[in-house]
Amino acid sequence: MGREKEKENPSQKALNLLRTRLSNPNFVFKPLSDSPDSNYSKLKFIISSSITEACNNSILLLGPRGSGKVAVLELVLSDLLQQYPEAISVIRLNGLLHGDDNCALKEIARQLCMEHQLLFSKVASFDDNSQFLIAMLRECGLAHKTIIFVLDEFDLFAQAKQRLLYSLLDAMQSVTSQAVVIGVSCRLDVDQLLEKRVRSRFSHRKLLFLPPSKEDTERFLEHILSLPKDSSLPHSYTVEFNGRLKNVLADERFKELINTYLSFNSTIGQLMRFLFQAVSYMDLDVGFLSLENFKTALSSTQRQPKSECIKDCSILELYLLVCMKRLEVKEQNSYNFNSVMTEYKSIHDFQTSDNYAGNVCLRAFEHLLQRELISFTDNRGHNQSVEFRPVKLLISPAELYHGLKSYRSCPAILLKLIAR
Amino acid sequence: MATETPKKQLQSPRKPKQSLNNLKVQSSPLSISLSPQTPQSLIPPQAPPRRSLRRTSLHFSSTPIEDSIEYEKSDPKTPRKAVEEIGKISGQSRKGQSHEERVKTPKTPKIPKSKRNDENRKTAKLGILGEGMVEAEVTFSSVTPEVLETKKRKRGEDKTVIPRAMATRSSKKKEKKRVYYKKVVYDEGEFDVGDDVYVKRREDASSDDEVPEMEECRVCFRAGRSVMIECDDCLGGFHLKCLKPPLKEVPEGDWVCGFCQAQKLGKYVEFPEPPEGKKRVRTLREKLLASDLWAARIESLWKEVDGSFWFRGRWYMIPEETACGRQPHNLRRELYRTNDCADIEMESIIRHCNVMSPKEYAKANDEGDDVFLCEYEYDIHWHSFKRIAEIDNDEADDEHADSDEDWNSSKEPDSGTDEDMEYEEESTRNAQARLSTAHLAANSRKGHFFGLQKIGTKKIPEHVRCHKQTVLERAKATLLLATLPKSLPCRNKEMEEIMAFVKGAICDDRCLGRCLYIHGVPGTGKTMSVLAVMRNLKSEVDAGSIRPYCFVEVNGLKLASPENIYRVIYEALTGHRVSWKKALQLLNERFSDGKKIGKEDDRPCILLIDELDLLVTRNQSVLYNILDWPTKPHSKLIVIGIANTMDLPEKLLPRISSRMGIQRLCFGPYNYQQLQEIISSRLKGIDAFEKQAVEFASRKVAAISGDARRALEICRRAADIADYRIKKQISTVNSSTGKDIVTMAEVDAAIQEMFQAPHVQVMKSCSKLSKIFLTAMVYELYKTGMGETTFEKLAMTISCLCTSNGEAFPGWDTILKVGCKLGECRIILCEPGDRHRLQKLQLNFPSDDVAFALKDTKDLPWLAKYL
Repeated sequence: MGREKEKENPSQKALNLLRTRLSNPNFVFKPLSDSPDSNYSKLKFIISSSITEACNNSILLLGPRGSGKVAVLELVLSDLLQQYPEAISVIRLNGLLHGDDNCALKEIARQLCMEHQLLFSKVASFDDNSQFLIAMLRECGLAHKTIIFVLDEFDLFAQAKQRLLYSLLDAMQSVTSQAVVIGVSCRLDVDQLLEKRVRSRFSHRKLLFLPPSKEDTERFLEHILSLPKDSSLPHSYTVEFNGRLKNVLADERFKELINTYLSFNSTIGQLMRFLFQAVSYMDLDVGFLSLENFKTALSSTQRQPKSECIKDCSILELYLLVCMKRLEVKEQNSYNFNSVMTEYKSIHDFQTSDNYAGNVCLRAFEHLLQRELISFTDNRGHNQSVEFRPVKLLISPAELYHGLKSYRSCPAILLKLIAR
Repeated sequence: MATETPKKQLQSPRKPKQSLNNLKVQSSPLSISLSPQTPQSLIPPQAPPRRSLRRTSLHFSSTPIEDSIEYEKSDPKTPRKAVEEIGKISGQSRKGQSHEERVKTPKTPKIPKSKRNDENRKTAKLGILGEGMVEAEVTFSSVTPEVLETKKRKRGEDKTVIPRAMATRSSKKKEKKRVYYKKVVYDEGEFDVGDDVYVKRREDASSDDEVPEMEECRVCFRAGRSVMIECDDCLGGFHLKCLKPPLKEVPEGDWVCGFCQAQKLGKYVEFPEPPEGKKRVRTLREKLLASDLWAARIESLWKEVDGSFWFRGRWYMIPEETACGRQPHNLRRELYRTNDCADIEMESIIRHCNVMSPKEYAKANDEGDDVFLCEYEYDIHWHSFKRIAEIDNDEADDEHADSDEDWNSSKEPDSGTDEDMEYEEESTRNAQARLSTAHLAANSRKGHFFGLQKIGTKKIPEHVRCHKQTVLERAKATLLLATLPKSLPCRNKEMEEIMAFVKGAICDDRCLGRCLYIHGVPGTGKTMSVLAVMRNLKSEVDAGSIRPYCFVEVNGLKLASPENIYRVIYEALTGHRVSWKKALQLLNERFSDGKKIGKEDDRPCILLIDELDLLVTRNQSVLYNILDWPTKPHSKLIVIGIANTMDLPEKLLPRISSRMGIQRLCFGPYNYQQLQEIISSRLKGIDAFEKQAVEFASRKVAAISGDARRALEICRRAADIADYRIKKQISTVNSSTGKDIVTMAEVDAAIQEMFQAPHVQVMKSCSKLSKIFLTAMVYELYKTGMGETTFEKLAMTISCLCTSNGEAFPGWDTILKVGCKLGECRIILCEPGDRHRLQKLQLNFPSDDVAFALKDTKDLPWLAKYL
């Protein structure tokens, strides 16, 4: 027993290490930050120059979800906080939480008060808070302090009147302040959302975050998955682990597998999620990563919920679906339970088996609604009973056909019916 | 170093009372010995608390002070040593702040102070409880020898020359009359409010008697008329001819004397000894920098009832006296202005000195020896620095030290006449304000923000001072939107028009209110021009050529709701905060009914409303009210409205447009020559841009919007890019000689960044399935000619494309997910994914862009066929 436990120990440790790494964005994005072309150094240059040269800037970080916008920003901010410990205060807002101007301004005031150990009052009005903000901007500017506003989900701030953005940017161009507004958004056209007077005041620095290139991805995989030489893990284990990993990474099959995954979504965030899954499949008894782990992970990510749903349906439900499909083929675009039942009956006029009563069919129909294989066409008529509300098929005929084909014991008649 | 005693004692007239009360309670009334627990022996004689002397001489008579004074006597001979001492002390004091119970640690020189600190804190607390208690008459005895017996104040106490007099003023004084002056001629010197003066520190040092007007040469010890040069390190003066080798003329740039140079190299240097029988006389400047003197700024001047002249001084500090001591980047002649004030008798003024802002200091070269530089204000409670605001000096001061309120009388234009100061009332009001401060939040109401003085750097960061700006950095700084340009080119005609309008309205005898509507696209200098005109007018008012008026500025976008504008206007006019309904009523009374309450109300009022279109409500009553006032006979109101849309008056109700639309002024977008002029006027003297680059930027912006902000931002960004490139080059390759000039390429990059959505790049780098998805969208578009398609159709197309080109079809749900991801980035517009096959899709960018982006995809060469 004891021996087994000892043997298990390094692999458990290795697994923990890998998982910690994968869930730590700092570790993931650090190696990408060296080159001068990287977003890290560009962003750092812009922010630090507005600290040292006492100027205002506004930056947009754009890129698809999972491309590491916030992660790189946090990396830069933590570095700068170390470099200029006193000169920075960071205000973080999220469009999902503070989309309302009033509430956003309140939150800014709160965070500023927290930062400078001032007393904050909850009841202060919009005007008070905006005046407070301007006063703070000026005071901090005089004290050589930079306020960094991080606006996550920036597109949600760029709605309606945009009072917050206007007063922020207007203050930045009229008061002697040092402030940086950083907008983070996955919408590429976010600057078009800005109102014209806000846009005119925005300084339009944009940093684009793109998925890594193929070579980068490979370097990346090795960097993340190989164990460090100088850790508490036994040396022999580390060497063997890294050796095997190298074999796996060099394998053609593995490359194909990764490509399949990346062809779906190539951002770093997604890759991390995939690797996390693969690492978690690692067999602790063996203690090494194998190709099988990645294969399992891939198959678990590429699920087709719709066709799996069909596999779970009963025969009656399949009948109903097929009936709806037939109705659609007949160009009857709006149908409800009753018309489906008519179709169902018409099928059974010349076919005998599988004939169920109306209330049973209704149960099956409701079940289909719950599985979201079908849905109501509109939200009107809540007070109508289910039978009379028009419904729509959410699954396409092609999918349905494939589903039926792969169904364990699909009645041959159904396949015939759907084909006709 | 006197930084540890809380200021409150000095500034609010109430606090001292409390502390006095308590002092009386706590200790014997005759001579308040400082700290009974502190044995004398603990205080080492060689390290007196310097600045705190001012205070100790006031409150306390105790041996430590005498000790220190003895030391002071020996001080003058060793000025340099003194500075070192101070450095040491300040180091200790920094340490000491964190430990309150330093009483127990022997050998720290500053025990008395920390003790006192504790005491004060206690008294402050007790004071609130025991308010309205007995007003005690506490007599103070000062050890400072009294020299000037000429004018005595009527006080039951010994007079102090260097008092923190506010603290000692007892309540009965407040009822008496005082006469405030703006200018006082005293002892053959003329002293204005706002002047800087040397203040005597004590009266015992014999060297104070002979104050040399001229500095002596450090070599020959004679003043003489011949040209002297100042060492930039030790500030010693040298005759040009006394130097070895002698200089013919004053060299350009920094000059360091031979002694300092040798000292820097680590050699032992022997300074020339003064000739026998003649002591080296220190100038006032030297004494100040060795903290044997003080400097203060006169905040107000007055004559007491007994005829003695007093002034309220705001202390200056030398870097050694601050909590962080002298920093390497501090200049030799640097001073800090504190927020610490005291009432000082005019007797103790020695003479004027000159404390300048950095800009003035840079220009000053021949102003003599008494020139100092002051850039920062030092908060003695929080030990923090803050730059002194350049433009609105006075207002900023009031904000920092809100306790100066009762001294504002000195700033009023008629302060030359006698005036009753109602101190009692003032002080009680102040007291209430103080009391409630504890409960007031920083962002709370009434327009006062509490605790802002907390903000400040503990140390002035090095990069601010030591960094020498490169050409590009200077260019970036001048291109900043926030930097106010020296002149406003290209808007002369419009400014003249505004000027004529405002002047006509003000100078008109009946002052018939009028309205001006200014419109133009963003970034064409509307607000800036109006503000510039108002500045010009203000200087004319100061010169006395036109009548005074009041100016109210409101921004429609910064109001929480349109109705709030009444409140804001009323507050700006009277300083009172009321609800908007009440404010509307009061304003109506004032403007329509012509009811004047205060004497200020008689002035014409100019109301500038920025972003006027935001005030449009459903029934447009706000705009109507505001625009109706000027038509009333006695309103004396002039409204200037600014908005973007040209036809705003036409969009409004006829009764409003008839009131607003008469006089209009249009700010057209800038053309490229104007933009070029704006940029190059800012860049004057800085050779950072290629000429074509500026032209390119301005042409581009003129073609798109004519927005000056955009043009400036493009140039700034271009300079940024160039700067980045150069700095990276330097850090990687040392030898590279990149030209530090902004070229067309950088401007082009900046323009691309500003005006183009980055979708092409995103499409180029997105995943394989996304590319197929987009291709299918384009294909579908060509095939059907319809912009919109459903997911079902698209998925069929994709599966066709995949099968005919040997790609594996990934499954419907995967494709749905891919589509949603693209929709998130707004490359396509799509409905939410839960509509599945019924989801409607549409390309957000022209199909040509997609074709351009995907034509040369390496791993999917077949895409080009379908594009």
